[in-house]
Amino acid sequence: MKRREFFGLGLTALVATLPLSANDLRKEKPSAWIEKNVFDGKKPTMTGINAAIKDLYGDVKVEESGIKLKLPKVANNGGQVPVAFKSSIDAKSVAVFQDVNPESLVAVFEINDNMVVDNFLKIKMKQSGDVAIVVEGKDGKYYMAKKSIEVALGGCEG
Amino acid sequence: MKLKAKVKGDVIAAKALLKHDNLTYDQAKKKGKEANFITHITATVNDKIVYDASTSQFFSKNPMIKFKFKSNVAKAGDKLELTWVDFKGNTKSKKTKIK
Repeated sequence: MKRREFFGLGLTALVATLPLSANDLRKEKPSAWIEKNVFDGKKPTMTGINAAIKDLYGDVKVEESGIKLKLPKVANNGGQVPVAFKSSIDAKSVAVFQDVNPESLVAVFEINDNMVVDNFLKIKMKQSGDVAIVVEGKDGKYYMAKKSIEVALGGCEG
Repeated sequence: MKLKAKVKGDVIAAKALLKHDNLTYDQAKKKGKEANFITHITATVNDKIVYDASTSQFFSKNPMIKFKFKSNVAKAGDKLELTWVDFKGNTKSKKTKIK
């Protein structure tokens, strides 16, 4: 007598759930956030925008296109510098830099399909300098918009 | 914290005013306080992330943020929740109804 075994194909439903709290980039890329020097007892160094981009994204080529950056020509109060940006690039992340404070990186936004790249934020700037927005596209390319701004009263003195 | 959100065609526009001193290391030193600032801000609606920012000490004091997300993830009446975490681990969140 032959015995047969039938294997039924069990359908396993895989429910993919996204984690609610996304990656903490401060922990993932600590070199981009200079405060670590403060803890080491070293003096924070001015890194500049290009160095900060390298810290965050690695050695990448940046193209200056595709982003609209809105800044006032003169900021009366360096403690409240309004920065607005917009882009239609299919983005993975967006980073905001400036080159006058001890640490160049101000913020990194992680973009998913629910979001539209159209943000506004207020930042501190010690003195007149440049503000740059870098968009990491899903196509693997990097885009940038850079503008300089005059700051009448520095914002880091408090 | 103040939080507002409104449907505008195919996007929902949100505005928030966060209450935080955001003391940088320089400022804190002068004032004889400890530096503390917001390090992460997230916003969710219907369990979907619509805003996610890692921030540094150079966010302004009591920062204002505006952001937009697609209106297919939520409708008027749904609740938008915004949460921030600071360097010391304090956290605060607020919910608002989308108009």
